[in-house]
Amino acid sequence: MRRATRKPGGDRDRNQALFVVSFLGPPVALYATFVLWPALNAFRYSLYRWDGLSEPAWVGLGNFRAIVATGSEFLPAIRNNLFLTFVPGALTLSLALFFAYTVHQRIPGARLFRIAFFFPNVISSVAVALLWILIYSTTDVGLLNGLLRLLGRTEPIAFTESGNLLWAIVPMSVWSATGFFMVLFLAAMENIPETYYEAARLDGASSAAQFRHITLPLMWDVLTTGVVFLIVGGLKFFDAIFVMENGRPSKTTHTLATLLYSKVFQEYNIGYGTAISVMLFLLVLAATLVSLRLMRRERLEY
Amino acid sequence: MTASALRWVGPAVRYACLIAYLVAVLFPVCWVFYTSAKSTQQIYRNPFGLPPAITAPGRQSLQPLVENYTKAWVGSRFSRYFINSVIVVSTSLVSILMLGSMAAYVLARFHFRGRTFVHMLFICGLLIPVQLVLIPLFFQFSDMGDWLTRILGAPVRALGIGDLTVSLHDSHIGLILIYVAFSLPFTVFTLTAFFRTLPGELREAALIDGAGEYRTFFSVMMPLGRPGIVTIAIFNFLGLWNEYLFGLVFLNDDRLKTLPLGLASISMQAQYKSDFGLLFAALVIAMVPTIAVYMVLQEKLTRGITLGALKG
Repeated sequence: MRRATRKPGGDRDRNQALFVVSFLGPPVALYATFVLWPALNAFRYSLYRWDGLSEPAWVGLGNFRAIVATGSEFLPAIRNNLFLTFVPGALTLSLALFFAYTVHQRIPGARLFRIAFFFPNVISSVAVALLWILIYSTTDVGLLNGLLRLLGRTEPIAFTESGNLLWAIVPMSVWSATGFFMVLFLAAMENIPETYYEAARLDGASSAAQFRHITLPLMWDVLTTGVVFLIVGGLKFFDAIFVMENGRPSKTTHTLATLLYSKVFQEYNIGYGTAISVMLFLLVLAATLVSLRLMRRERLEY
Repeated sequence: MTASALRWVGPAVRYACLIAYLVAVLFPVCWVFYTSAKSTQQIYRNPFGLPPAITAPGRQSLQPLVENYTKAWVGSRFSRYFINSVIVVSTSLVSILMLGSMAAYVLARFHFRGRTFVHMLFICGLLIPVQLVLIPLFFQFSDMGDWLTRILGAPVRALGIGDLTVSLHDSHIGLILIYVAFSLPFTVFTLTAFFRTLPGELREAALIDGAGEYRTFFSVMMPLGRPGIVTIAIFNFLGLWNEYLFGLVFLNDDRLKTLPLGLASISMQAQYKSDFGLLFAALVIAMVPTIAVYMVLQEKLTRGITLGALKG
């Protein structure tokens, strides 16, 4: 409507165009130079063999073939990513749902629980890893081994050695992430109109039935968001493994992100490392699209 | 009677679970805080007990605490890491909020050709993992450094000031550029949605009153957008203050490292030397800023999460 009242090519139009360009130009230029351009370049890099110094050699899909070949380090790494996504993820989601549901019942101290449970989420992943290194320590300092000693165990358990590390990360992940998802779910539950529950209670629905038939379906969108967050986070997992393995993860503890880091910055196998990063991107993309699609279809049933 | 007892048991068990988890969440952090007041010998002798600084307060019992924190802050250069983090994060944050709200405002309020395309471009950024960009960016930085050295070096040499080498590696400016660029998609996406919810009449009124587009933005729309901008600022602050991977790749010089990098390298040295007093103190220093921000702004932060997720 406003457009119709103005003459095309008038002063105001030109001023407005200038304004749009001056406001959009700098952020778009920065974003294109330091995110989009290198992201596109990654696809090109993945088609070469390169040590960072000599002339890159074109290998086509050779790097990708090497990635999926038997005996490659890629497959164990991706298995570790799946473990770190689904084992702590399932625990985190169930605990978060349970806590959100309980806190939602207007219990005393609800605010305290919400604030306290969320709080590990603001601590940096490096600090969290270090905290758990201390908890798991085999020296006299270790909190957990100290507890086991009180229970009569004489030999300390090496929780963070390569064979045990993935399992040791499970409680750490749950500890730091549950509060975030609880807050997310709690907000979704608070958005559900109370009248639905009142109607259900009049019909004699048990609280379990209310949860299953009202709460869950009406917060399906937020659950989807939560699952996507968890999967993407699990696929990108890096900090804790890298810190707990002192920068040199072993074959049994590598994730995709630590593997590509060590391929590029420790072994100077740049094409191969970038090919892993391209795979990582495709997995993030696929996981996001698939879970959005699946959850949406489920939701239509209600 | 059994029925009423049963009705009672469920909530009681659930409440007990909440209390148990509360202890599990808070105790490890409390343990780190009070252990940082013990000397390494005291930690070894009595790993879990309260420090003398609490059980028997006095000048002497406070000494290990003072010693640990001095060692961390001065001896291990934690003050340096801390200042580096403050410089990098505050500069990045101001730039992100400025550039992000500029882009978001234009995308939310103006109609022009290519608007949807630019908006989609930013949304694509939400799906790009750090790891995809990391490696090409590493080499792009070398090229850009060489290029800047050539362009800026010539006039500097001509003026006879000396040789100039520009490098984006091992430079806070390089890291800030990455942080700003990488935070833009999320910031623009969220703020665009936020600016759309603001009433358009105020903007119209300001324009009719003769304020230009620029003044309308800075003195009317920015203040109106403050609640959204504050929430985004908290998210970006926490994310950048805790960021590890980009710093790891782009900063090698110990004097330039940010807090997470410094903490990781102190952790390796201190574990090697079994200096646990230092380790606990370093951990406390690293955790305090974000915990403090959370304590003050937790209401805004949790509300922001729910807004973003419920809309998205």
